[in-house]
Amino acid sequence: MLRKTLLLTLLIALMTACAPQATATTAPVATTVPATEAPTIVPTSAPKDIHLTDGLGREIILASPAQHVVSLAPSNTEILFAVGAGSQVVGRDEFSDYPAEAKSVASVGGSMGQYSAEAIVALKPDLVLAAEINTPELVKQLEDLGLTVYYLKNPTTLEGMYANLGIVGQLTGHDVTELVDSLKARVAAVDEKIAPLSSRPTVFYEIDATDASKPYSYGPGTFGDLLIQRAGGVNLVTLAGIADSYPQVSLEQIVATNPTVIILGDSMWGVTIESVQARPGWEGIDALKNKNVFAFDDNLVSRPGPRLVDGLEQLAKLLHPDAFK
Amino acid sequence: MRRTPFLSSFVLLLIALILSLAIGSVFISPKEIWQVVLGHGSETFTSILWKIRLPRTVLIALTGAALGGSGATYQGLFRNPLADPFLIGVASGAGLGAVIAMSIHWPYSYWGLMAIPLSAFVAALLTVFIVYSLARVGNTIPTTNLILAGVAFSSFATSLTSFLMLRSTGEVRRALGWLLGGASQSGWTAILAIMPYLLIGIGVLVFSGHALNLLQFGDDQAQQLGLNVTRTKRILLAASSLSTAAAVAFSGIIGFIGLIVPHLIRLWFGPDYRRLLPLSILGGATALLICDVVARVIIAPQEIPVGIITALVGAPFFLWVLRHAKNQGYW
Repeated sequence: MLRKTLLLTLLIALMTACAPQATATTAPVATTVPATEAPTIVPTSAPKDIHLTDGLGREIILASPAQHVVSLAPSNTEILFAVGAGSQVVGRDEFSDYPAEAKSVASVGGSMGQYSAEAIVALKPDLVLAAEINTPELVKQLEDLGLTVYYLKNPTTLEGMYANLGIVGQLTGHDVTELVDSLKARVAAVDEKIAPLSSRPTVFYEIDATDASKPYSYGPGTFGDLLIQRAGGVNLVTLAGIADSYPQVSLEQIVATNPTVIILGDSMWGVTIESVQARPGWEGIDALKNKNVFAFDDNLVSRPGPRLVDGLEQLAKLLHPDAFK
Repeated sequence: MRRTPFLSSFVLLLIALILSLAIGSVFISPKEIWQVVLGHGSETFTSILWKIRLPRTVLIALTGAALGGSGATYQGLFRNPLADPFLIGVASGAGLGAVIAMSIHWPYSYWGLMAIPLSAFVAALLTVFIVYSLARVGNTIPTTNLILAGVAFSSFATSLTSFLMLRSTGEVRRALGWLLGGASQSGWTAILAIMPYLLIGIGVLVFSGHALNLLQFGDDQAQQLGLNVTRTKRILLAASSLSTAAAVAFSGIIGFIGLIVPHLIRLWFGPDYRRLLPLSILGGATALLICDVVARVIIAPQEIPVGIITALVGAPFFLWVLRHAKNQGYW
């Protein structure tokens, strides 16, 4: 017993012994980042300074708008191009495929959460735009390499998305007032058409039905849920009282709730109206009987960028075709 | 090669180290590398080599060494060819610890980031300790008990990990990357943090060859030959768990290396643990370095978790060696 206690004490002692040592080695690295930028910003161009707090609570200072940006998420790439900073994007993650021009930008990896720090450093970006799908470990690694990283937190509302456009506009030196106003106007136009309608169809949004007996769907706190409601529908998940953000809904529940419309967010993976009809147990659902099953571009609701408004418009048209004729 | 196992192992390790430094998703020519070494390379390449590649190379080499050494030790300790460093719970314990730490939203800070490897490390050691306590009968540690307790407790911890991952949707990507053997943190911080444990663990293992040779006769006979069996087992378990837990905490769970490297060494250089142990340590480092190079370039600039490559590349290679081995009854 004594030996055990000794061993444990030794362990704890070792752990604490190495910790401050490690802190000490990282500290200079962390301080060199602002230090190298300090001379350029403090004396002369003080009014031009871009000073923002990012989604991890880090203070980000840019002496001038970033001209060489690496985007680490599809939503970030879409935002960058939308605010007019497309030509400033020098790197993107593997999954950034919109707009089409983005695909010709150099990729820095990203599947399974693995990005190539080497490729990012080699692009010499003055800003790396990270998103919530990126881990804090990656942010730390890039920060230690002397890069300026802004971690853009996912918005949970359309207002939050507009705010993110503003942040990215500020970081890259673009005014987004016009863009945000036009997006707001488009949302208002949808609201106006939906408001007088009395019908609120029940919608089942399918993200993934690899297991057709319990497909994944959007729940509270996601844009999938928010946009279905805004487009004048009732999300089956909310109706069923499920609180998870990305729940697996049992087929029993779907049949019992009997949705009027089924949206196939997984259509890009080859799911079709016919393949849904062929699933055992699904044939009794109203949406299938009335052929109210629609293919849908899931990127329009899953990527928290300006195309959420496209998603809203398209959903509204699918749920209320008569109002949008 | 067979006459000079240590020399050839060192040469192979050196080649692997150089390859690991020279090859990455960004191409740097040997001439430019030499300029960086001399101190007048371009700023970008200097940064890539000293701050990205070198720490990664060192971390991977140390991880491979720990896995190779612990694998050989476990196989000898349990006298079981299927034993690997994760047999009695280091991996599943570390996984559980990491996922628990990930499910808490730490503020972005040094300790917030260190919470994950630290929790993985502590949980791994705790798991081994629990398994050891469960398997103990009086003052002896029957090997079968240890394996069964280890396997059962590991399954329990793994289930708990899966359950936690299902519940915390947001962190699944982070957890998955870790569980597949992707370095959760890089740079010199990680290396400095694990160095003491690795060196203590590996240092003990290097000199345990004689004891492991005696243990091959069985517990009773080893005891009669003058070995304090219980104490030896305890020390060996502690040393290999310590080094493996430290390696796993930062590099994630990398399978196959700890299982296959000792077997390769045994096929090539025979079963004497005085050679087998140090050679497995060197061989583990070499093998993991090579797998890591493959993981970096196979679909560059995309990198994939090295844990996927170890078995993908290692299994066919091992099967080929096994098929062509002259001493089929080598175990």
